[in-house]
Amino acid sequence: MPLFLLKRLGQALVAIFGVMTLVFFIQRLTGDPTYLLVPETATQEDIEAMRASLGLDQPLLVQYVAYLWDMVRLDFGRSYVQNVAVTEIIASRLPYTLQLAGGALLVAIVVGLPVGLALAIWRRHRGTNLLMGLVLGAQSMPTFWSGILMIMIFGVWLGWLPPSGSGSLAHLVMPSIALGLLSMATYARIARSSVLDELSKDYIRSARARGVGTGRMVRTHLLRNSLIPVISISALEISQLLAGAVIVETVFAWPGLGQLTVQSVQSRDFVVVQGIVLLGAFVTISVNLIADILYSVVDPRIRKGDGP
Amino acid sequence: MTKTTKAARLALPVAICAGLACAVQVSPAEAKDRMVVDLVNEPATLDPHQQWNPDSYYVYRNIFDNLVTRDNDGEIVPQIATEWERTSDTETVFTIRDDVTFHDGEPLTPEDVVYSIERITDPDFASPQLGQFNKIVAAEVTGENEVTLTTDGAYPALLAQLVKLSIVPEHVASETSAEDFNANPVGSGPYAFESWDRGVAVTLSRNDDYWGDAGPFETVVFRGVPDAATRVADLQAGNADLVVTLNTDLAAQLESGGRGKVLTVNTERVAYFPMNGAKPPLDQPDMRRAIGYAIDREGIVEGLLGGYPRVVDQMLSPAHFGWSEEIEGFEYDPERARELIAGVEGAGTEMELATSPVYDQRVVQAIQQMLTDVGLNVSIETTDMATWLQDQQTTPDQAPMLTFSRWSCACQDPDGIMYPLLHSSSNWSRVNDPEIDALLDEARSELDEAARADLYAQVNRKALEEAYILPLYQAAIIYGAAEELDWQPTSNESLFLNRMSWNE
Repeated sequence: MPLFLLKRLGQALVAIFGVMTLVFFIQRLTGDPTYLLVPETATQEDIEAMRASLGLDQPLLVQYVAYLWDMVRLDFGRSYVQNVAVTEIIASRLPYTLQLAGGALLVAIVVGLPVGLALAIWRRHRGTNLLMGLVLGAQSMPTFWSGILMIMIFGVWLGWLPPSGSGSLAHLVMPSIALGLLSMATYARIARSSVLDELSKDYIRSARARGVGTGRMVRTHLLRNSLIPVISISALEISQLLAGAVIVETVFAWPGLGQLTVQSVQSRDFVVVQGIVLLGAFVTISVNLIADILYSVVDPRIRKGDGP
Repeated sequence: MTKTTKAARLALPVAICAGLACAVQVSPAEAKDRMVVDLVNEPATLDPHQQWNPDSYYVYRNIFDNLVTRDNDGEIVPQIATEWERTSDTETVFTIRDDVTFHDGEPLTPEDVVYSIERITDPDFASPQLGQFNKIVAAEVTGENEVTLTTDGAYPALLAQLVKLSIVPEHVASETSAEDFNANPVGSGPYAFESWDRGVAVTLSRNDDYWGDAGPFETVVFRGVPDAATRVADLQAGNADLVVTLNTDLAAQLESGGRGKVLTVNTERVAYFPMNGAKPPLDQPDMRRAIGYAIDREGIVEGLLGGYPRVVDQMLSPAHFGWSEEIEGFEYDPERARELIAGVEGAGTEMELATSPVYDQRVVQAIQQMLTDVGLNVSIETTDMATWLQDQQTTPDQAPMLTFSRWSCACQDPDGIMYPLLHSSSNWSRVNDPEIDALLDEARSELDEAARADLYAQVNRKALEEAYILPLYQAAIIYGAAEELDWQPTSNESLFLNRMSWNE
């Protein structure tokens, strides 16, 4: 076990190093941020002074080594634009992104699962076609459009919810729904096929033969058994939600990491982008690492290296 | 499951929704003391000597006083300096107000003024705004409440630049790091910094000890709302009282009904179209003149920009010093353009028109179409802003052949726009004309206003005659405001809160 763990840990470190290197070079390929940081009226000397103060006048390799050394010391640098420590900027935005992802996941599960269940159980009922259409519609709506639509209806016409911003539970409602709609459809589809799968199994047939009613059968037999694939896609959905948040956060002026990413890429704030990407890589790789370890606990063949 | 439990299960969500709705509807009612401004992004900095972009100075110009300012008519008027006198070609003596205190209670002294100038011009401080102030070579306290500034040679644009010089307190800024000062700025302006919730909002509160009129708002919140349609929705829902940077479509939506109104002003930002004379066929004056005749500027302004901007024929706007009513440029005349093109060698060469998504692409595409209509071959090259800026700030033989761009020096002085765009020593300039260089150099140190204005008029006439660069229009800025807000926006794109009021 420890050897396997060490191996996996080593792989994770290599992956993080790879991401660090990639993000460093890809960003620098896009060009020089200095021109965005000085006013139009800046002279060539001003531009060079600014470039030197950011350390961007150094050869790329020197910058890269300095960057790696900073990373080793866990010094993530300061934003070019805001001149504030990146860790501070990300720490102030992260809670908002987590709130939004949580809200969206709640919407997706609370709406998606019952819909999927209904679609499977009453699959021959005419109403399910309509429901299926609604699910497809929800999934097909781009979030920038559904977001603005909701803002117009609930924010401007009805005045029920604040159109944008953050600060209260009410602010969270619309962004969560806009972001959750996509995942909701995925949950509904997965739940539907998983329930259909279970419905065709022997134990359901015998339960029915025993005279178990639909309600009880769903509660005691079906639900638990069909939840397994739902749980395993949740890990995927969470990363999807974090990615989808870029647009939703911009439309609703929700101050999360997605909005920060867009702004930082636009202003070529390399240091902030590096920080965000590194955080994303760290989270993804950690989740995978944990999953790998859990699998190996369950299935000893993976541990020995001759697994499926 | 009984009916009652079902009802109970329904009751909770309904109650929560109702509660949320109530919570929200209360807020607009109390909005009178609290003013909310939707910016595009949150400020980059609140240290007025650091980053310099609209979202930052919209906020920090309310926290800090400047040495001088411009009134709503664009005249330079006293702020921290009550009067000034030019004692020699290079020296100007400023009298400093003696009744100003910073938000921490300390008085504002002439030493603070000197410190502010030394801070922003210190090369080690590396202010992005250095280029606007580096003509000032010395600042000294020369008497009680007196500061003398010395410039490197005669410098007529001094006051126009000092409009942007914010006074920071020496006892705070010199004691703390630039980062701490940015996180906790102390100024002497009508509004004091209260809090900066990163990524969310900056909150200012009225400085009741302000020496002048501080305006009616107890607290003012500046939020970053990147999506323009969301900003309009905020305004219409009463969630914001003032929103910035709307396009003409959203302005039309706002005017066509619902809450809120459109406020607009023509700024000192001039849209222009430089033609790179270093590259054939643009080295032939007739080719450049043909382009001048081919572009229908009235059509662009009326058809695409809602009629807000004003067509200009000189590289200035009426908001600038030196604007001349007498200069007339190219009329839209596609026939004339075709005739000229017929006599140009290699007129069919493919020419790239450099642009960036920041600029209005409808205008860029309209220009391409107009040039295609008279038989030219123009391709649009779109790059991101940083690349575009880099491509522009180079020598003419490297620069793109055609460019659509807009320029503001935020100084309303011709030196800030014509020197960078027309003088051969500037990175931005595509012009290499010794006569224009000489005129610009002379104007840069001509202290007599009438003579100086005349020099710039000569430059404009020469530039038109040779068609080096086409002035297009004086850009408009469109704000959305609550019906109850009274405010006259100014050409320098500032949001001075103490010049706004509720109209009840």
